[in-house]
Amino acid sequence: MPLTIAGRHRRRVRFPAANLLPAITSTPGIAAQEKHHQQQPQLGLQDHPPFQPPSKSSKSAKVGKSQKSTTSSGMATQHEPRPGIPSLFTQPPPIRDPLTTETIQLQETTLEKCLTFLKGLHPSQTGPFNAAGVPALLREDHVAYLYESLEDYPAGFVAMDASRPWMVYWALAGLTLLGENPTHFRERMPLGGFGGGHGQTSHLASSYAAVLALAMVGGTEAFALIDREAMWRWLGRLKQADGGFSVTEGGEEDVRGAYCASTIIALLDIPLALPSDAKKARDAGFETLTEGVAEYLSRCQSFEGGISGSPGVEAHGAYAFCALACLSILGAPEETIPKHMNIPLLLSWLSARQYAPEGGFSGRTNKLVDGCYSHWVGGCWPLLQSALDGKPQTTGVPSETVGSLFSREGLDRYILGCCQTPTGGLRDKPGNATQHYHYRTNVSVSPGSAFESAFSWRSSPMAAEEEVYEPADRLVAFHPLFVIPYQAAANLRLWCESHPISV
Amino acid sequence: MAGTYATDPEWADVSPIELNDGSESGAMPLATIAYPSDYLEATSYLRAVMAANEMSERALKLTKDVISMNPAHYTVWIYRARILFALDKDLLEELDWLNGVSLKYLKNYQIWHHRQVLISSKKHFPTMPTKEPDFLMEMFTQDSKNYHVWTYRHWLVRHFKLWDSPREIHDVEALIQSDVYNNSAWNHRYMLRFGPRDDQPDAGMINAGDSSASPEEKGRLTVVDEDLVDAELKFAQKQILRAPENRSSWWYARGVLRAASRGLEEWEEFAGRFVDGEQTKSSHAVEWLADVYAEGEKAKAVKMFTMLKEKYDPIRKNFWDYRIRQLGVVA
Repeated sequence: MPLTIAGRHRRRVRFPAANLLPAITSTPGIAAQEKHHQQQPQLGLQDHPPFQPPSKSSKSAKVGKSQKSTTSSGMATQHEPRPGIPSLFTQPPPIRDPLTTETIQLQETTLEKCLTFLKGLHPSQTGPFNAAGVPALLREDHVAYLYESLEDYPAGFVAMDASRPWMVYWALAGLTLLGENPTHFRERMPLGGFGGGHGQTSHLASSYAAVLALAMVGGTEAFALIDREAMWRWLGRLKQADGGFSVTEGGEEDVRGAYCASTIIALLDIPLALPSDAKKARDAGFETLTEGVAEYLSRCQSFEGGISGSPGVEAHGAYAFCALACLSILGAPEETIPKHMNIPLLLSWLSARQYAPEGGFSGRTNKLVDGCYSHWVGGCWPLLQSALDGKPQTTGVPSETVGSLFSREGLDRYILGCCQTPTGGLRDKPGNATQHYHYRTNVSVSPGSAFESAFSWRSSPMAAEEEVYEPADRLVAFHPLFVIPYQAAANLRLWCESHPISV
Repeated sequence: MAGTYATDPEWADVSPIELNDGSESGAMPLATIAYPSDYLEATSYLRAVMAANEMSERALKLTKDVISMNPAHYTVWIYRARILFALDKDLLEELDWLNGVSLKYLKNYQIWHHRQVLISSKKHFPTMPTKEPDFLMEMFTQDSKNYHVWTYRHWLVRHFKLWDSPREIHDVEALIQSDVYNNSAWNHRYMLRFGPRDDQPDAGMINAGDSSASPEEKGRLTVVDEDLVDAELKFAQKQILRAPENRSSWWYARGVLRAASRGLEEWEEFAGRFVDGEQTKSSHAVEWLADVYAEGEKAKAVKMFTMLKEKYDPIRKNFWDYRIRQLGVVA
């Protein structure tokens, strides 16, 4: 029965709670699995469990669409991988310690689960598979799933009540990546401030999600919803004496705060001068919102080379993205990143996030691969690549580049093979970083501004012949710092520049 | 709306503020939740008491009720902390309750920030509550790599200056003993041994965040206790012998040598023990040798990087190729 609100039909969200929301699942099996799952910064205040394989793997289940395979299926036995898959992705790693601990047990379990998917043998994988043994993107299923995820959630989702701006951002971002046009959602964007919901305090993560969602639906009406002067004053109160930002007044301080604040400042053309009531920052001697942020991030690099959520804690892939994107917003990455980060340590740690045979990224040393790091860790690579390539000399694609330093093939196989759910939806975001080459030019959307570099990015599709996925499975390119389409970021910035606020 | 609060005489003087998510205006909001009626009611009363900035026992009870239904409701946690201090409540009692909530919801930013806010009160906690380490170890039996708990524990060390506390290093050793791959424990150990003390701002490595120091200087001590360094290197070797293919212990050793500004070459022989053609036991030892050779014997470094790229860590082929290009040798 469709629910009807305000005279219009609405659909209930049909996906099982367990797929999206560990917090409300209380069955012992899921809780046990949840327990060991990597922590991700709740940029989205939410966590995705690793995929849950069906309880049985039945040979007879593999019928139907698999016959559409573009290669002869070659499925004589259950264990033979499909043709076209290099052994790197079908065999366990060559060295394994004789010692077994909890870490090793979890790793082995994950590896076994991934292998079935990577070989294209899981009963839920109905194809079609291409000549490289890679399943197609289930585009229509994902689109249907995302449209549904903008509708009504059952009561069990009450634990998401502080994250509703995220639910909107995720769904709109997913739809946009898949080529859908989200602008018709304009009339349905929430009014008012940017907390999790009515009566909730403003939060940087909710504000980030809300601003990006508004940027995606676009249009003057959406942009004008944002009270930029209030945002400016509020950001001043969040700025801390050590240069960073707390996520909400009275809340914790970490690199999510710094990244979300920088994104908001750059996209909304927020004045940089500190408001008069920015007490903590003013007492510390700061005069602008952005002063001291890079130094704060520098203190978050750990001895391993990666970047932690706050100074002194373990290096973590999601925080690494927040920190590197923040540095790349604050200035040109070839200047800000080498100035504040030890690059050889950082490169080595980041590169070690990719595992074989799984192909995906882990968030921390000796943790498991997870779909969400396709975004977080994958998103670090274009930024580091740009830092290594140096100052852009041309308006187009650079003639010399350090190139991709990770395995795009591995990540593609992991996302398309291991992360797609047959009913639509990914176990996390698709890995935009693998399909497009993101680079900077010497032309900016916002020349002469403090954020000239952040608005000088372009993208071009990777040459199809180098890739293991089909051209039809390409996604829309997203801006590597703001994680919305390039044009959406430019439109919002330019609108704000043409409607300056007087403070 | 009728429910627990509407019929409770204690709440009779409060007019609840009902949820307004924009649908009143005829708009159809996105990603709505079919809230249970008890949650809708409790949050309506919460909006009302928060609007009045009420600091009362009944408001405190209400915050607990909302938290029990949605522990990720960050607004209610901040309000609760303010009430606790305003009413001068027994914070040890609060910690007892919080322990139960923490064990139930393992992944939650708010719970751990709330704990930090409470313990930050020098008036209530001039020294660390004695049961704190026991409780943290209980959390680690649930998830020994819980990022929130480790973040909190790091804060605790700095707040109460526990770098040399026997209990800290004892717990770290126990965790490494039970799972040598626990990288969170290795990170904590590094911070106890080589992290900045209270004469410097907090950082993952010393000499960070100071614009006069280059990133190359990060993590390098100005005064080195060579005995401590030797003891830590010995500890790392012992752990590597237990499990040679463990990035945590090898990278800990790199961090130790870096702190002492000593080179990787002093472990050339040790690393070499794990590298033996088909019998190679550790890709990290191969990388170690590559880094040693990169300083002089570049052809040998190329050989090591090639082993990594072709056999022991081929998923990182592009990175190993980059390292080879950096050596500047003509292929």
